[in-house]
Amino acid sequence: MSVQAFRLVCASEREQFPQGIHIECLECSGHDLYLGTSDCVIYHLLLVEQQLSEPTSLVQQTDQPCTSFTTTQQRQRQLGLKKPICELRAASALSRLLVLCDNTISILCSESLEPLPAPKIRGVLTFTLNENPVSGDPFSVELCLISSKKRTVQIFSVGQERVQLIREVATPEQACVIAADGLYLCLALSSRYITLNYNTGHCQDLFPYPSDQKKPIVKWISRQEFLLAGPSGLGMFATVAGITQRAPVRWSDNVIGAAISFPYVLALDEEFITVHSMLDQQKKQTLPFKEGIILQDFEGRVIVASCNGVYVLIPLPLEKQIQDLLSSQRVEEALALAKGARRNIPKEKFQVMYRRILQQAGFIQFAKLQFLEAKELFRSSQLDIRELISLYPLMLPSSSSFIRTHPPLHEYADLNQLTRGDQEKVNKCKRFLMTYLSEIRSTEVANGYQEDVDTALLKLYAEANHESLLDLLVSENSCEVSDSASWLEKHKKYFALGLLYHYNKQDAAALQIWVKIINGELEDSTRPDLFEYVVDFLTFSRDQHLVWQYADWVLQKSEQVGVRIFTKRSPEEYTQNGFCPDKIVSYLCKYHKALLLFLEHLVLEKMLQKEKYHTHLAVLYVEEVQRLNAMDSPDIEQVEMQRGRLQNLLRQSDLYRVHLLIDKIKGTDLHMERAILHGKLEEHGQALDILVHHLKNFAAAENYCVWNSEGRDTPYRQHLFQLLLSSYLTFASHDNSFLVAAVDLLNNHPAEFDAASVLRLLPENWSVQLLSPFLAGAMREHVHALRMSQITIGLAKAENVVYKQEKLNLREKPIVLSDKKYCSVCRNPFQEPVFVRYPSGQIVHTHCATKSHVNSSIGVHLPKPNKQT
Amino acid sequence: MSQSHDRVAVCIWNAVPCRGERLDATGSKDGRPGSDVMQRLWFQTSSMKKPDLKLVLLGDMNVGKTSLLHRYMERRFQDTVSTVGGAFYLKQWGPYNISIWDTAGREQFHGLGSMYCRAASAVILTYDVSNMQSLLELEDRFLGLTDTANDDCIFAVVGNKIDLTDDYDSESDMEGERPRTSSKIRKQVDLEDAIALYKRIMKYKMLDENVVPAAEKMCFETSAKTGYNVDGLFEGVFNMVVPLIVKKKASGHDETVNLAQSKPEKSKNRCC
Ligand SMILES: Nc1nc2c(ncn2[C@@H]2O[C@H](COP(=O)(O)OP(=O)(O)OP(=O)(O)O)[C@@H](O)[C@H]2O)c(=O)[nH]1
Ligand SMILES: [Mg+2]
Repeated sequence: MSVQAFRLVCASEREQFPQGIHIECLECSGHDLYLGTSDCVIYHLLLVEQQLSEPTSLVQQTDQPCTSFTTTQQRQRQLGLKKPICELRAASALSRLLVLCDNTISILCSESLEPLPAPKIRGVLTFTLNENPVSGDPFSVELCLISSKKRTVQIFSVGQERVQLIREVATPEQACVIAADGLYLCLALSSRYITLNYNTGHCQDLFPYPSDQKKPIVKWISRQEFLLAGPSGLGMFATVAGITQRAPVRWSDNVIGAAISFPYVLALDEEFITVHSMLDQQKKQTLPFKEGIILQDFEGRVIVASCNGVYVLIPLPLEKQIQDLLSSQRVEEALALAKGARRNIPKEKFQVMYRRILQQAGFIQFAKLQFLEAKELFRSSQLDIRELISLYPLMLPSSSSFIRTHPPLHEYADLNQLTRGDQEKVNKCKRFLMTYLSEIRSTEVANGYQEDVDTALLKLYAEANHESLLDLLVSENSCEVSDSASWLEKHKKYFALGLLYHYNKQDAAALQIWVKIINGELEDSTRPDLFEYVVDFLTFSRDQHLVWQYADWVLQKSEQVGVRIFTKRSPEEYTQNGFCPDKIVSYLCKYHKALLLFLEHLVLEKMLQKEKYHTHLAVLYVEEVQRLNAMDSPDIEQVEMQRGRLQNLLRQSDLYRVHLLIDKIKGTDLHMERAILHGKLEEHGQALDILVHHLKNFAAAENYCVWNSEGRDTPYRQHLFQLLLSSYLTFASHDNSFLVAAVDLLNNHPAEFDAASVLRLLPENWSVQLLSPFLAGAMREHVHALRMSQITIGLAKAENVVYKQEKLNLREKPIVLSDKKYCSVCRNPFQEPVFVRYPSGQIVHTHCATKSHVNSSIGVHLPKPNKQT
Repeated sequence: MSQSHDRVAVCIWNAVPCRGERLDATGSKDGRPGSDVMQRLWFQTSSMKKPDLKLVLLGDMNVGKTSLLHRYMERRFQDTVSTVGGAFYLKQWGPYNISIWDTAGREQFHGLGSMYCRAASAVILTYDVSNMQSLLELEDRFLGLTDTANDDCIFAVVGNKIDLTDDYDSESDMEGERPRTSSKIRKQVDLEDAIALYKRIMKYKMLDENVVPAAEKMCFETSAKTGYNVDGLFEGVFNMVVPLIVKKKASGHDETVNLAQSKPEKSKNRCC
């Protein structure tokens, strides 16, 4: 497929020239156009560009103005030879025109066309001006020529009035065509192309061309790169280093001339002008042109000439070319062209244009479902993301004020039109949008359009049943509420809907939805544990009214779980009115189980030291035990567990009302509990009596002694143990097991008894053998106690001696009071023979001593009072 | 545009336009398509960015060079027309850009070969396993073209169209499987012939056999048609050349020889 890249317009019709004119060569510099003819005449014309508005009758050439050219003749000069003019080159900075005629270069004034007295260069086959001279001198040009006589090339520097040979280099064979760049010449020899560094003389072979080829072409195209006519009509690119960096373009076999107009290569043959792109080497356009003889570019302007007419190839505006490419879906070519044109367009303009092209290209790729490419294009062109979203029906929030740009970036009304209703494709597009939006939503691409992006994303997730829907809603988002809500409702995403409400601070609405789901009025299985979720939600809710509003509902559902709304609240809320424990306790009286759990929470976890709660809890425990016991077939294990709880509480707490509880368990078989309660009242005799005689639980009895004497002094402890021992002994005569228990008690706890009084209690007939562990233990204990007190006495005595010695030391020397002694505090002499002496030796007035003692400024040395002395 | 497909183009020019054949829609599917678009464009338009290294496919016409490249870059086999001039692809390989030149095997383009090979880091010499002459041509006609390649250029010898021979089962188009069947033409070139050629090439290049990669590693048999061993070939070669670039970069020597930059300095020295 072709592009229209150039328009061919006539600059001067044959009528403008004399009959029989035969153009041999031409040169164009700015507005100046020079023609050289076969009969040795040089014409100077002005080439004037005109902007005409296109007559409407003509082809619909859109809105761009139509350029045309006219020429007006300035001067002409006959050089007086019967030879054709072979080459013309203008050096506009020097106002000179270089003319090759009859193997001789002469220099003319470019205005008057008068020959100048400067020397001529003879024996020239052909010449060129170096496009990129190394000298960089603005007042000279570098002329490179092929000598017609010697097998050499010569480099001249040409100034306004002078011509100077810089270098002459031999070539391997006679050259016939020359182009120059920097220090390099590119030459066509008889059957091959070479580059030649004229400074070093180094030759680099490029490639051979068939010697039967009509005319070799060597065309400078850019720094260090040439375009050459190769075998079979190839246009080959070659660098001065002999490397080719672009694939060749394919011309016809008999190309006469070539020109460059970035990014195109133009070639002229007998019938056509062909246009190839250097970016992709494709042929882009063919313009019929018969009898052409010259095709050349001059400072970016491409001119083609027949023997009697001059035409200009006007490049079409780049934007038009690009739009043409885009409308035929040739994205890559369009982008290449746009990018290639960067240097020819002002930066700001380019950026705006290029962005738009990228966006259009993005939509083309998108329509082909080439999502990766599309994404990259959208991203790099900073597409207003709503342009994309708006393609998807209903995705933008109804409140969105978005209107697509004009002119439109694509031709599609919506996704359905784009996919022609293919559901498979629609789904692919939706998946793409989903990933794309989720990627960009936190980047600056979404800036300002957060609401549109998030709402669209929510809709896509909901529609696709995508798990990220919940993530979106629980994290920071800007979903538009009413639009999103109706969408979620439509797709039965009720749990998500609740989240949406919650995020938007409408907790009441959220709860209402969730409760409906739990009650089965709405169906949404997103969260099987929704009830627990709601309980947690209420637990962490700061909205008192809401919590109380749903408390009954929650507790009716499950007391066990529901009570968490009270027990797991943050502690500081207990001190607030809404959730003070008293209020909760009185509220929970309807919910027995919950109440128990709550009191447990207060007493055991929160350790609230309030008699009311402790008693209440204990009573509830007792009732629970009784309730369990009263069942037809009581579950022993459960009863034991419950009793364990009760006993623990009774033991650990000191706050409950003991008498009330004793009353409560009167007549039941809760003996152990009763023993504990008696213990609390210090009625150890009764307690031990229950344990030893009713329960015969010796281990429990021993334990009782241990925990009841915990934190008490030794006599108290000994008293308890002795009580227990006596209790055992009372029955030892009837029941041998008591006797064993008594012996074990003594032997296991020798240290807990006052051995002397115990021995008196024991029956005479007990053998020493039997009690030997006890006796040995008791002895050890006594000896230990004795030694410990001896050590204490010894240490105290030693300390006393130390202090006595200190005291003596202080009294040892007399203190002399004279006029030269001053008080250490007030720095005044002493008036009376009364003073105070500090242990450090300082002496002070008595009044100063009392003062300084109060100020404690020097009191640091006073010995500290020691209670042990 | 009827033949274009959805991928976008690397710069490639190939084939004769009169057949309506335009390979304008080539593009690597190497898994990085997104960034590739811009990457390629940038290369195409600014000639500043040069490929890090060059790989050249040489071989007689009709051996399947274009088909091999096409198979590798586009993962498919497609009718080709005899290449005119040459074409090139750009392949992103890790951080490197590798330009791969497909040359024309036809006699009339033979003269371009030296230029294509200039400064090449790797040359793939391709023959057709069903055509002994194509192997002989490599030595007679193509080896000389590689004189312009880099001194440390790597060579691979590839016998293509293995699917045609009685060595290969066309039913199993899976890469890597080669059970035997009959009803195929006789294989004309054995792998041993290629290995022998490879050794002669090393001798010609006066390279030490102990230093260069082993012949067995550098001789391949492939089928562009089925895809057999095509990735193995290109990736094998890439993996072999990349260390060379790394080495060169490390030693501060730019890969693409730029005479224009090096020569003036030399002349300066001479003047002084
Ligand atoms: N059976 C088979 N045919 C192949 C294979 N590779 C290429 N061909 C065919 O061989 C012919 C030539 O293939 P090309 O890839 O054009 O050969 P080429 O080496 O590029 O040829 P030139 O461009 O002229 O140098 C085409 O008809 C291909 O279809 C292959 O592996 N198996
Ligand atoms: Mg080919």
